Amino acid sequence: MKKMLYGIILLAIIAVLVACGGQDKTGTDQASDGAAPKEEKITLRLWSHQNAAFQAGNEAIIAKFMEQNPNIEVKYETFEYDLFIQTLQTSMPAGTEADVIEMFGTWVCSYADGGRLSLLPDNLMTYGQAQELFYQAPLDGYYCDNKLYGLPQEFNLENGGSLVNPALFEAHGVTYPPQWTDFASMIADAKKMTEFDGDIMTRAGFNYVTGDGLSFAFFAAILQQGGSYFADDGMHFNFDTPEARNALQLLVDMAQKDQIVDPVLFNDESNWVGDSFFAGNVAIGFVGSWAAGEGMINYPDMVFDYVEIPPYFGTENRFAADSGWGKVVSANTKYPEEAWKLAMFMTAEKENALLWNSNTSTIPALKSLVESPEELLAHAPFLKATFNLLPHGQFIGDLTDRDQIFYEILYPHILDALQGVVSVDEALMSINTEANAVVDSR
Amino acid sequence: METYSISTSGKQNKFSIKRLFSQSFAYLILIFGTLVTLVPFIWVIFTSLKPASEIIRIPPTFFPETWTLDSYRTIFTDPHVPLALFYFNSFFVATFRVVITIFTSTLAGFIFAKYKFGGKDAIFGFILVQLMIPFQVVMIPGYLILVKLHLVDSLWGLIIPSMVDAFGIFLMRQFIEGIPSELMDAARIDGSSEFGIYWRIILPQLGSAIAALGIFTFMGTWNDYLWPLIVITTHEKRTLPLLLTWYNSQHGTRYDLTMAASILVLLPILIVYAIFQRRFVRGITMTGFK
Amino acid sequence: MDNPTILAKQNKGKSKFSALERVKNKFVTRSLTPIMLYMLFFSLLPMVWAVVLGFFDYSPIRAGSSFLGLGGQNPFIGLDNYRAMFLDTQPARVFRSAVVNTFMFALLVLPINLAITLPLAVIIESIHERFKGFFRAIYFMPTISSSVAVAVMWGYIYHPQQGLLNSIIRAVGLTPPKAWLTDPSAVYFGIPLAMIAVIIAYIWQDFGYNLILFIAALQGIPREIQDAARVDGANAWNTFWRITLPLLKPTLLFVCVLTMLSSLQVFVIFDVMTNGGPRNQTTPLVMSIYQNAFRYQNMGWAAAISMVLFLIILFVTIVQFKVLRTDWEY
Repeated sequence: MKKMLYGIILLAIIAVLVACGGQDKTGTDQASDGAAPKEEKITLRLWSHQNAAFQAGNEAIIAKFMEQNPNIEVKYETFEYDLFIQTLQTSMPAGTEADVIEMFGTWVCSYADGGRLSLLPDNLMTYGQAQELFYQAPLDGYYCDNKLYGLPQEFNLENGGSLVNPALFEAHGVTYPPQWTDFASMIADAKKMTEFDGDIMTRAGFNYVTGDGLSFAFFAAILQQGGSYFADDGMHFNFDTPEARNALQLLVDMAQKDQIVDPVLFNDESNWVGDSFFAGNVAIGFVGSWAAGEGMINYPDMVFDYVEIPPYFGTENRFAADSGWGKVVSANTKYPEEAWKLAMFMTAEKENALLWNSNTSTIPALKSLVESPEELLAHAPFLKATFNLLPHGQFIGDLTDRDQIFYEILYPHILDALQGVVSVDEALMSINTEANAVVDSR
Repeated sequence: METYSISTSGKQNKFSIKRLFSQSFAYLILIFGTLVTLVPFIWVIFTSLKPASEIIRIPPTFFPETWTLDSYRTIFTDPHVPLALFYFNSFFVATFRVVITIFTSTLAGFIFAKYKFGGKDAIFGFILVQLMIPFQVVMIPGYLILVKLHLVDSLWGLIIPSMVDAFGIFLMRQFIEGIPSELMDAARIDGSSEFGIYWRIILPQLGSAIAALGIFTFMGTWNDYLWPLIVITTHEKRTLPLLLTWYNSQHGTRYDLTMAASILVLLPILIVYAIFQRRFVRGITMTGFK
Repeated sequence: MDNPTILAKQNKGKSKFSALERVKNKFVTRSLTPIMLYMLFFSLLPMVWAVVLGFFDYSPIRAGSSFLGLGGQNPFIGLDNYRAMFLDTQPARVFRSAVVNTFMFALLVLPINLAITLPLAVIIESIHERFKGFFRAIYFMPTISSSVAVAVMWGYIYHPQQGLLNSIIRAVGLTPPKAWLTDPSAVYFGIPLAMIAVIIAYIWQDFGYNLILFIAALQGIPREIQDAARVDGANAWNTFWRITLPLLKPTLLFVCVLTMLSSLQVFVIFDVMTNGGPRNQTTPLVMSIYQNAFRYQNMGWAAAISMVLFLIILFVTIVQFKVLRTDWEY
């Protein structure tokens, strides 16, 4: 009987060892695979966030890649956005992350500084060569401490365009396609299309209440008045300006005075713009063109379009644009050569980039695709609206920590102002102190 | 004696108006409570049986106007949702944890209940202190330990850190103390080893305590969310609760689908509950487990 | 060869005793050692590690210099994490409101839970034996349900336009709140509406536990005592107040400890239903720990917060055990 006890304990220990050793073993197996002759298959893993259009784009390129490289098997996994961030952080120290990762440009440097990403080898592409091929704004997200850690696929410009629902335009007798001459005329249309049931807003005319939407609109509105959100040193922020006050006042007025959206019912936490637009509860949805790409796949029966919206102030459009999604390679990868081959294949080869941008309805980071846009527009007509805007987009600048500034400082405080919990001045003050505290803490 | 008999007979015959009133009032409250408890479940089931077009209606319908199994069909045929695999993962982890926890708890409980050795009180005190450490405190280093053990993104990472349960040891010690030591001495005279005593004398008498500990370890594991959220990264290795949040974010506004997915997650444990309902209830009262 | 046998026979009594002791000791050592080593490794070590992490500016994303990744890019900062809790910065404000939220949640859940479960248990005990099991079984159903599923369900029930709750409120002719989970300015008696919504969902899921504990305790009270009181002329209310309740006291205190401790550690229902919002009105400490550790690359800060949670739980436990002990004696 004693034997049994030790047997069980032994079994438990073996279980531990097997579980621990299991990974090492497969690891060495794979490593020897890598060294073995080419006919033996190796497996590369690719991670991205979850979005039907992005999945379709990546899957199409992977299929091509595997056809051309029969010795490489690509295993593709996706994660819900929040979970993706957590998973990157929990998996990297453990070394269980994928070989190739689709990362947002503004995250790249924090992972690169921690030593978790692999450098793009100079023989594949130098920064100078990359500058020739890619737009500066998206590329710079991947360039940290004078080293290049990956390549972008998207020029992120969540501005100047909106989803529109023709059915709601018609139902309220509003001209379609829209003939907006200035921002006020758009607000007027949105007002006509806002519906109430008693006091409760059931349909929003113009939903711009999102983390990205509020932040980008706020920045653009400052720029369009000829202002700047940076302090004189170019590092700190300055939101204590008349331009910032006007910009925020405009955003607040749309919610409180014009009542074209109820920021309590429509925000990131409930009725997020993408969801509520495709559920038919929003007439004009302020979001990047990628939402149109996702919508086409998730809601194939819905009729909608993506159109340009007028500037908030004046007649000339000016925007802040930043780096978007692209591909990086993990420092832990067992096959750096193949991993970079895949990453380069997906980002730098024109026809593959085309495949990706047309599936996702995102603005290409690759200059050549924008310079001769016919083919891309044929696949992704929604991009037309953004192409007209592209010349007006300027790089957002070094925000120190873009996600923190956007999602933990700008969005919550602007939302507070929209919901009437704090005044415009109070919100600006909080934003100013907290954003500068972020700069000081680095 | 007299009062006792009067009271019982009095109780039996007390069909006064007042009693009738208080009894109907009691049932009224209980039925109201039943409604509050069941209506959310029913609403979810009904929602999962509505077509997509009916979901977005404002105000919503309670009973489906059109009954359909479309949502379930969609989930079952979704190539991204290998349901059987998720059920397997949950069962795999829960089974291992239940068996191992029962083994270590009964063995250690037996030793603390029936043996004398130096430092016993101190060691048992150490175990009791573990009860006071909330999971959230050991969660962060627990993850870092798994990193060192190469157990991140492995189902074993959900099993190995929780093979010994301080509460289980405490519980089993209480129970085993109640088992007469004479039985053990008799077994010793018959030549049984100490482990033999544990295996053949003690274990068979712990039926209900083992059932209670087993049920709650199973439930806790089955419904566990935060730890798998941190440990598991591969989609195919996820357990059921993770599947639900994943599915929920994938189909934000399709409440027919998310509610059907909720039902699919709830169903196995509700079936287990329906079968072992009495044991569940006895288990709690015995252990005060939470 | 002969000698040892004779010797052994002569010392028969003593050596047999010590042989048994040896066997016992061996068994204890061999069985308990692995279990204790395991506990040292998976319980004590993490506890110590968490304390240590609280003194570092640590993120696992940055490779540190030593074996545990401490030092180098993850420097020792002494008590800075704890000092930072009192500063006027955004993370410190979120932390402090998380402390308030955690206490608010636990202190509201406890009395509401008791006010529902104790009378309900008495009522169930008062009805015919045949139906007791039925109601008990129904009331326990939410308790065994997965918290994620419960949170997803209730999130939908609270939906402002499509949810069941607002439809019912409108159907009976009342005006429902505009948004249960996302309206930061909806505050009743100092309690945010979103917090109230989470409390309702949590109590719905959780009340079965205490109900069953109370029913069991009521069943443990000898009928004769209550009947005797009734014959002495006491009415039902008096019987309950004077006889039943004092006898329930040990259970009541036990239930209080359990309910308190578990509500201080609730995570899932907050994470899935509100994700902490609006304006961090429903961010409990547990969520702060999780988010800082695994989302914001701030594990040292998260470990320091977890120490605060630990102290709170330790304090509550000790206070309640003290109360328990004095009351067990009567």
